[in-house]
Order: sequence, then structure tokens, then C-alpha cells
Amino acid sequence: MLLGLVSQSLLSGVTNGLIYALVGFGIAAIFRGAHIANVMQGEFSVVGAVVVDVLLVQIGMPYWAAAIIGCLSGAALGALIDVVFIRRLVAQKAPDDSYLLFTIGVSITISAAVLFLFGREGHLLPPIGSGQIFIVLDAVVQEHALWLIGISVILMFALRYFYRRTTLGMRMSAAAIDPDGAATIGIDVRAMRTLTFVLGGVLGAIAGILITPIIPVSYMVGLPLTLKGFSAAILGGLTNPLGAVAGGLVIGILEALVVMQMSSAYKDVVTFSGLILIMIFMPRGLLGRAGRAGG
Amino acid sequence: MRRIDRTRLVAAASGLALLGVVGPVAAQTNASDPIKIGVILPLTGAGAGLGIPSRNGILLAEKQINAAGGIKGRKIKVVIEDDTTNPDAALNKANNLIFGEKVVALVGPIQTANTVAVGGITAPVKFPQVALGGLGPAVELERKCVFHAAPPQNQNARAMLAYAKSLGVKNAAALYDSGYGTVVWNQLSKFAGEYGIKFGVTEKFEIAATDTTPQAAKIRASQPDAIFVIGVTGVPVRAIRQLQMKQPIIAAIGQATYEIVKSMGDAAEGVVFPEFLVPEDPLPHQKAFVDAYKAEYGRAPKSIESIAYDALKAMSQAIGKAGPEAGNEAICAAMRGPYSGNSTEYDFSAPDMTGIKLNGFIYSKLVGGHFNRLPFKNAE
Repeated sequence: MLLGLVSQSLLSGVTNGLIYALVGFGIAAIFRGAHIANVMQGEFSVVGAVVVDVLLVQIGMPYWAAAIIGCLSGAALGALIDVVFIRRLVAQKAPDDSYLLFTIGVSITISAAVLFLFGREGHLLPPIGSGQIFIVLDAVVQEHALWLIGISVILMFALRYFYRRTTLGMRMSAAAIDPDGAATIGIDVRAMRTLTFVLGGVLGAIAGILITPIIPVSYMVGLPLTLKGFSAAILGGLTNPLGAVAGGLVIGILEALVVMQMSSAYKDVVTFSGLILIMIFMPRGLLGRAGRAGG
Repeated sequence: MRRIDRTRLVAAASGLALLGVVGPVAAQTNASDPIKIGVILPLTGAGAGLGIPSRNGILLAEKQINAAGGIKGRKIKVVIEDDTTNPDAALNKANNLIFGEKVVALVGPIQTANTVAVGGITAPVKFPQVALGGLGPAVELERKCVFHAAPPQNQNARAMLAYAKSLGVKNAAALYDSGYGTVVWNQLSKFAGEYGIKFGVTEKFEIAATDTTPQAAKIRASQPDAIFVIGVTGVPVRAIRQLQMKQPIIAAIGQATYEIVKSMGDAAEGVVFPEFLVPEDPLPHQKAFVDAYKAEYGRAPKSIESIAYDALKAMSQAIGKAGPEAGNEAICAAMRGPYSGNSTEYDFSAPDMTGIKLNGFIYSKLVGGHFNRLPFKNAE
């Protein structure tokens, strides 16, 4: 049974860590492309998940079609927020703290809108695959958890490739690092920022769709997801998807080990004390300069 | 001369302040005006999941009271304020309702912290208030005009333990959240011995936790006879069942809502709750309420709605008994006594300001996503 406890704890640590990383991907993308600390990232996940649930359960749409529309809803929400609000803030040369306050406000507004439109219930999506259960080293492994792990890893490498190898990815980074310089070489800075928010919205929606078969998603879940996603992203270096995975795994596994070895009452105290120590001794994040530079 | 003026000014201000304190009830003198009853609920924020169904129960009670002729021929009007799940906001709203709107009584809030905050201004002036949560910290025992329409946590804990005992549970585990769950857990640990139950692994999680699998894994390793789950989401129950644990789950009343059950998914099967209303199989006296609620809102009510409904009806009965112009102390005195509610039998003169007995609980078990009333009944 001890073997089962250890393996189950590690498995749940990895699964939770990758859930944090999935949310962290979107936070990293928006920070990288717009230099905005986006507190509403968890809400993108909630909206994506709830839209898919409504299309799947209430309208009876096929899962794949509902998932695509769920991702598009995240993209549309991201684009809307940039075009309607962020552009105005940029035009008025708003300081960095204004963006933080703005995203906090939008987060609360989206949460209230989800409560108003979709009610207070927790939404659950069916798992990807056949919903099989495997017993590995006396630990229960759900098939969906394996899908979540696999898709997270694929997303991590896809984002890494996008930013390092594609013209669009490099343009998005350049537009955020030096908007004036980027504009002089013909990059449409405004369009790149909109695309950054579109990417953040899509990543948030994908995270929501992958998380919802494991975690019931309701109007209250957005902020807790954001906080854990932020922790994962910052720990990894904030702009690098590989860093978000590393940060998420450290947090998830640390949480699981604290619960296993100590009392769950101390889970956050010990975990976040550990994170403080990591940030003191590794202020650039787990991946150091590579994390900040985007790997 | 200047000194006299100042003295008069201070005296006048004091007089006005005094009027402010005694004024709220005296202000409603026009017999054709509706009788205003203030309601404070968490309609936004983390508590909205409790506040919104409570509002529905209260509005149904208001409608029924007015349809039946009101109180002594006068209609009632509930003035609903949102405390945003925040004690500071609850306090401000209570001040506005009592001294601005000049309501004759208050219903709400729900959360303990908010109720304690509002009680700080209602108790000194003996202003009648029925909170929708159970009795909180010891200070509330002294507040004899702050009544409670929900059971205190020691009764919730005993109701859960009594059912576990009936199953022959000896070794139990508990999974509880850091808010409501901790309060109930403190009572469970206090009374478990009386029921011959010993708690082994007990694990805590944050109220808004998105996953409790690590805690559930630890419980799984301890192989308890039953698991007590106390929280306000379906997350812990899912975690337990996802790890293929088959033990009985006894959950607290706070989770006995359709929304939380839906969020449990298939994991909800077999979970047992001590509570007050099973709409699928209501007690004979509860059927009219269930039917009226369904007709009004197109969905079934649960204990939360029923408790809020009872709170307004009990307060309205007390206002009728004392008379709407009788003053706050008289209405408060009229509240003290037995009241046959839709949810259960109350005795608001009891030391815990609610008087709900253990045999006033009913038990439900989830089968196929529906609540089924169990034959189990506590002997008080």
C-alpha cells in the first residue's frame, strides 16, 4: 500500500503540475507577446470548457466539433479583449500596473458573466478516449490523465517551435520586446498583440477542455487556476513554455509529496516556502537565462 | 455664549444619534405602506452559489405571504442587498437597511463571518435577525436576537456520525475544506468518540481547490470503513471515486445541491447526506413547497432554498404576532419559541438560537444523480 501511496502521489503531482503548466502556457504567451501579467488566463479556460459542455451536452454536437468551437471562443474572447480594451490602454500609454488591474477586473467580470449565463453548477466533460482505468504500481491511472500528459508535452514542443522557428512567432516576440524597432522593420505591432491575445485565449481554452474531465469547472475556478498557472510560469521563467512545464511539475510534485509526508494543512505553506527559496536562489527561474529568453 | 452654543450642538447631535438608533422601527407608521424586511445575501463572490437559491426561497415566501393577505392586512416587501460574500459589505448593507430603509427585521446573511459582523450592530439594539447559517463562534450565544435557520455545526456533525454508526463504522477518514469543512470537522472530532468512531487519516484542502487527489491517495492507503467529506464543491468526492475507493461517503449538508452533485459526475453515486429536503420524495408537509417552487422557478428546491423560505416565514409570523409597529424588541421576543418550518421543527428559544433536533434531519442517498430519501431516522 505504501508503494501505491507513493506512486499515486507522484502521478497526481505530475497530472496537477501539467494542469498548472497548461494554464501557464497562456500566461507565458501573453507575457511574451504583450508584456502583460494576465490574471484572466484561468477565465479563458473556464469559458472554453463551459462552451464545449453546452455544445456537447445541451446541443448534442460531436466532441471534436464542440472542442474546435470551444477553442475559437477562447480566441474570440482574447481578440475582443485586445481590440476593445487593450488598444485603448496602449494608446493612452497606460503604465504596467493599469494592465494588471485591468486583467483583474476582466477576470471578475468574466466569472460573474459565467455565473449569470451558465449558472453556478460545476461543468464536467467526458474524458478523451474510452475512459479506461489502469493500475500501475498500485496507483490508479485514468486514460484521460495520459492524454493530458501527452497533449501537454506536444503543446510545449509546438510552442517552442513556434517561437523559435516560425516567422510569425519571432514577429510576435519582436513586437513585444521592442515595439518601435519592430514597427520600423515592417512588423504590424498592433496585429501581433492581437494575435498574442488570440493565442493566449486558444491556449486557455485548450487547457480548460483538457482539465474539465478531471476537475469540475465552474465560475469560481478561474482565479485559483490562474494563481497556480502564474506560479508555474514564473517559476519556469515566465516566457518559456518549457519553463511553465518545469515550474508546474515542481509545484505539483512538491504539493503531492507534502501531503504524503506531512499534513495537507501545511501543503501551501511548505510548497510556497519552497518556491520562495527557489526564487531567492534562482531569481531568473528554474531555466535561468534560457527561461527568460524563451529557451 | 459660544460655549453654550457648542453644548447645545453636542446635545442636539446626541439626540439625533439616539433617534437614529431607535428610529428604524418607529419610522414605519403608515398602515398602507408595505412592511419592509431587509435581506442580506451573498449574490456575487464565492458565496453566490448559496445566496442565489436562498433568494429564490425568500422571494417565494414573500409571494405566498402577500397572496395570503400579508401581515395583518399589510403586504410585506423584502429589500434584498448583496453582501458580495464580504463581511465589510454585509455590515454596510445592514446599516443601510436598518437605518436607511428602516426595515423592521433582517433575514441573512449566510456566512458565519458576515453574520457575526451584522450581529455586531443588531444585537446591541435587540434588532430581530434570522441568519441562514448555523450558530457560529461563542459570542453568538450572547446575541439573543440573532436567530439561525440552519443547524449549528455540532448538530451537523452529530447527524453525520449517527448515520456512520448505523453502518457499523469504527475507523473513519475525513476530507474537509479550509472553511466550512474545518468548522464541521472540529465538531466531528469532538463527538466521534460518543459514537464509537475513531478518525485515522484526516486531510484538509483549500475551499477553491481544483484537485484533492494527493489527499485522497493518503486516505486510500489507510483503508477506512467510511469517509466523511465536508466542503462546498464536488472535487473531493470525485477524487475519492477516481482512486477506485468503494467505501461509503457521508457528506455534509452544504454539498447537498443539484449543482454540486452534477459536478461530482458518476462519482456522486451512493453519497449520503443528512439534510432537510428531498424533492424527489418530500415529506407530506413539504410537498406544497416543492410544487410551488417548481411552478415558480421550473426546477426543484433543496435544503438551502427551504431554509431561506422558512427564515422569512418565521420572521413574518413573529412580526404578525408582535404587530408590525411593536418595535424591534417585541418582534425579537415574538420570535423566541417553537416554529414548524418546511425544513424541520425549530425552537428559536433554544440556547443555540435554532433548536433543531437530531431527529429533525432526514437522510438522502444519491442514486443515478437523484436524491433518494433513506428510512434512517435519528432517535433524539
